[in-house]
Amino acid sequence: MTSPGNRHERLLGKVRDKVAGEERALLDWLRSRPDYRPRFQYFLGLLSDRRLSTIESRCERPVIRLLCVQAPLELIWAAGFQPVKIASGSSAEAQFSTLNWPALMCPLIKGILTNLETEAELAPGPWVIPTSCDWVVKFWEARQKVAPGGGEVQWLELPHLKNQPGSQARWLEEIRRLKKFLEKLRGRKIGREDLLQAVMALNRAWAAVIELKKARRDGRLASVWFLTILGAFFLDRLDRWTAEVEAALAELGAGQSAGPRIFLAGSPIFFPNFKLPALLEEAGLLTVADDLCSSERTTPGGQVFEDVSESGLLASLAGRYHQGCLCPTFGDNERRVNNILSQRRESDFQGVVFGVLKGCHPYDLESSTIEDTLKCQGLKFLRLETDYATEDRQNLLTRLEAFRHNLAGE
Amino acid sequence: MAIKAGFDLGSTAIKVVLTEGAQLLWSGQTPTAPGQETLAKGLLEKGLAELGLPLDAVTQVAATGYGKGLCGLAESRVDEIRANALGLFRLSSGQARHIVNIGGQDIKVIHLDERGRVSDFKMNDKCAAGTGRFFELVARLLDTPITDFARLSELATEDISLNSTCVVFAESEMVSLMAKGARNGDIIKALHASVARRVAMMLNKADLGAGVWLDGGPAKNPALALALEDELLAEVKVLANPQMTVAFGAALSLGV
Repeated sequence: MTSPGNRHERLLGKVRDKVAGEERALLDWLRSRPDYRPRFQYFLGLLSDRRLSTIESRCERPVIRLLCVQAPLELIWAAGFQPVKIASGSSAEAQFSTLNWPALMCPLIKGILTNLETEAELAPGPWVIPTSCDWVVKFWEARQKVAPGGGEVQWLELPHLKNQPGSQARWLEEIRRLKKFLEKLRGRKIGREDLLQAVMALNRAWAAVIELKKARRDGRLASVWFLTILGAFFLDRLDRWTAEVEAALAELGAGQSAGPRIFLAGSPIFFPNFKLPALLEEAGLLTVADDLCSSERTTPGGQVFEDVSESGLLASLAGRYHQGCLCPTFGDNERRVNNILSQRRESDFQGVVFGVLKGCHPYDLESSTIEDTLKCQGLKFLRLETDYATEDRQNLLTRLEAFRHNLAGE
Repeated sequence: MAIKAGFDLGSTAIKVVLTEGAQLLWSGQTPTAPGQETLAKGLLEKGLAELGLPLDAVTQVAATGYGKGLCGLAESRVDEIRANALGLFRLSSGQARHIVNIGGQDIKVIHLDERGRVSDFKMNDKCAAGTGRFFELVARLLDTPITDFARLSELATEDISLNSTCVVFAESEMVSLMAKGARNGDIIKALHASVARRVAMMLNKADLGAGVWLDGGPAKNPALALALEDELLAEVKVLANPQMTVAFGAALSLGV
């Protein structure tokens, strides 16, 4: 007779097999594309082995597990750690999680919770978690159920009103606490020089990202490759990833893609869930820009520092990661819609496709107000609600095809 | 004469129309089953035979619907939303501005501009509530053909409410109502009201001054149109053959 424990282990084994299948299918699809270039293999190779132990030996640094995008990456690099954003786009992992958690829950968090069970090395070790949405806030509590014990967490209490008096000071205090946490873990101080080096390394990476954005905007780089390259951002040393991006950019040919140009907004898209970007292509829509925290917002962008003292650098970083953040969990977030409108001037798109992951309430709520504003500005808007499962492909494709005709004025 | 064919390969029915210019010459349908292309071809041949035309009279075929990608006969494919807009705008003599299409597995709300172009649309997510499948399920549950729904709904005497928006829960709710002795007519009337509420949510606050055109298979049920009118507080219009508009639009997409 099989004990329940064994059954659970076998179920987890089945999930691992399914996840491997999903990843293999996406990687095979990417390699079989006519626009595949051998240079892209570097990024696919990183994505095909995302185990933290592999990343640690690849980067020769211990890993800090991150959720969301508000923790200053420069600080983590400066402390000698490799930041790794923990995410899951696996349908099998999200589905398995419904054994324990509500069905209508963020698929990303569901996927990560299953990932904690399937990958024993994930849970132990240090985590940095900003209190962004409710799902993220409750993540650590939920985590104790599936992977109890082990691991330290450094919470960053995120002020959800950027313009409220004192909010920036409170956030700076959180960043100072993060610095102390990292210093304690590493057993050494983070100095001004460490910070400056990390800032310069990220600025070089950001310069490469800007060129990637231009390549996508000009039709020289398909959006699925853009997502693939950004998806591999945390998986290797920053200098090596940047050098590979620069090399890939040098090999890109002239732009060839045609079709109505769109901006992709909404919930993040993580490997191996490329359902929506693939469907956008299939429908003949050209994604020229996005504001996904898994894509263009992976890094906060380059920054010029007026005060290069240690405290000046820290204050600038804190401001950049708070004031500049477009996360929908903020209460005063006009910048988000303004960003789409300013990107429209740069990227010349005719419509916005807003993807909402079922259970991702901040994006869901925000989509309505963004829709109204953008429509007033003459932009077409399509909201799609989906999850990681593939069964709604046809339903989504029908809408995207109709949207393409709509954009073409047919 | 240049005859064109439009195929609508839907989830519950396959519809085929034959057109000449913008004129609808013939239409036919059959339930969806494996081998959709063969079934559509069979309908095409039947139509041509009834019109006394040879097989090679058809110069072009356009396909729409969920099975459009599986149809090798079609040289052109068009999405259902655009096909619906083209077909209904023409059949309504350019009057339609708002369309509600209830298909086998989805509900679409389409808004048109004065030239018949799609200005906006909404489609339900992966949920069968309010779709043709929902009606089929209720018909099985009540052991009553869908064609009797309108008549039975008129005989309703009790005001009952179906609150669930999920098909599975709605089924449980109906079983519970039946166990309590609710009459079929009352349940069917409640069903129509429930579907109408769902559609109304998709129409949001749109100005429906020009009325709403209801099409798709369930539009053949006049009680549903009445329930929709009641919910929307707007006129709901239904064409004589509301299930054929999308196939007709597919044929029109080939040009007239």
